[in-house]
Amino acid sequence: MIEARDLMVFYENMIAVNNVTLHCDDGQIVGVFGANSAGKSTLMYVLSGIILDIQRKERMRGGERVTVFSKITYAGKDISLMKPHERAREGIILCPERRRIFPESSVLENLKIGAYLASKEQAKETLDYVFSLFPTLDRLKDRQGGFLSGGEQQMLAIGRSLMAQPKLLLLDEPLLGLAPSIQKDVIRVIKEIRRDRRISIIVTEQYARPVIPIVDYAYILENGSAVMEGKGKELMNNPDVKAAYFGV
Amino acid sequence: MEILFYGIINSISLALMALGFTLVYGISRVPNFAHGALYVFAGFLTWIILNKLGLPYPLAILLALICSALLGAVISMGVLVRIRGMEMSEVIATYALGVAILEGFRWAGFKGMTYTLPPFFKGSVQILGVPIDYQRIMVVVLGVAVLAALWLFTRLTRMGLALRGIAQDERAAMMLGIDSDFAATIAMGIGCALAGLAAVILLPLGNIVIEAGYNVLIFAIAVCVVGGLGSWGGAVIASFVIGFAQILTVAYIRPQFQMVVALLAILVTLIIRPSGFFGRQKELEERV
Repeated sequence: MIEARDLMVFYENMIAVNNVTLHCDDGQIVGVFGANSAGKSTLMYVLSGIILDIQRKERMRGGERVTVFSKITYAGKDISLMKPHERAREGIILCPERRRIFPESSVLENLKIGAYLASKEQAKETLDYVFSLFPTLDRLKDRQGGFLSGGEQQMLAIGRSLMAQPKLLLLDEPLLGLAPSIQKDVIRVIKEIRRDRRISIIVTEQYARPVIPIVDYAYILENGSAVMEGKGKELMNNPDVKAAYFGV
Repeated sequence: MEILFYGIINSISLALMALGFTLVYGISRVPNFAHGALYVFAGFLTWIILNKLGLPYPLAILLALICSALLGAVISMGVLVRIRGMEMSEVIATYALGVAILEGFRWAGFKGMTYTLPPFFKGSVQILGVPIDYQRIMVVVLGVAVLAALWLFTRLTRMGLALRGIAQDERAAMMLGIDSDFAATIAMGIGCALAGLAAVILLPLGNIVIEAGYNVLIFAIAVCVVGGLGSWGGAVIASFVIGFAQILTVAYIRPQFQMVVALLAILVTLIIRPSGFFGRQKELEERV
């Protein structure tokens, strides 16, 4: 599905992602775990192409120098230089950290904006699906995005990404700031999405414990480097990982 | 009674002038200082097509609007896309283009009071004892129609919704597959077409003069600053506030002070509440 080799990102002289190679097969859920500033979000920006937009804007402003080396193959094609909206058209959809809901639009409108790439039938079908996944959203249809709680916003962000008809869904810290019970809901939904829609998912998180049971394969990032990788269960039983990422 | 009617007409005229400016700013954060120039451009273009090429009036208007939209799109693609995000450069570039267009017309000999567009319908009616000509009624009708059409466009169509997304969070919209440069170009095209539309609706009330370009720009900025930059609802309310303030000034103080009202409104707003009186966005951000 997607294969990213030797990714390197520098912000000025600081290395944010160091020589990471990452792989996600069709229908797999891949986890990327790491502490703050380990490079998780930057990695997501590289995969979704947003980094190219950041790079361009910074260069125009004369701001930070962003250097990116990437070789990404997706569905047999080299997409390293593709713009973010073109990658989205190919089915790579990023559900960003901190959710980035459109605050002035209603829940329904957020979802409709998400359906920019979908055909009319797809949009209608996906809307029903999103509401069946998150009945809460159906109830709050007309509420402004900015007035939703964190958990509701996260549901909306995931729903909005689904509306864009992803083939590869990138979830950047979907559990950030959520109550444990809502975290559980989100995890369950991620699993359901994979089952129902045959979507490959790459999910990042700081705290691995709630996510690791559902991932097929996982990477652990530290200071931008992938220090460890392996099948979900293997990693769970590794004593080093246990100490560092499970809080045992 | 007169003040009420002419206040409403004046307010809607202001809203028409400001709509394109606030739309472009709201979507792509580009303060389009060429807005006034596009207004005059559309006016003169209509006049040229009407009088030099001899095409019928509605066709002339349509052609002028299409040309304005295309000119806006070309400016966006050729200039603005390259400097987006650098506010000072955007102001300087658009203002320079605006001055170039306006002074270009002056250089080509379009000066004086001889250029007028005919009204859509001649004549006037008495409403509650106040004589109002048909063109002014058209201003109200078309102004409301344009507002309604825009509202529907941004709520019901795919492109309109995409523009709303870009306006609120450019990068989040990008992640959903919306091309922000394309959206900015579309926004600029629509914004410039709106400037042109305001021109063909409002110019039959007077002469087409170069100076109108600068005045319209100041009115548009006044409305947008008072209403909160990029906020449509705010812009409409602000046009009514400034519109009535102007009419009252004309009625009770001096007609020459119209422009002073607009400039004063900018000044007072910037001193008291720089984010504008009716901008909702800021409020929301504070709550969340």
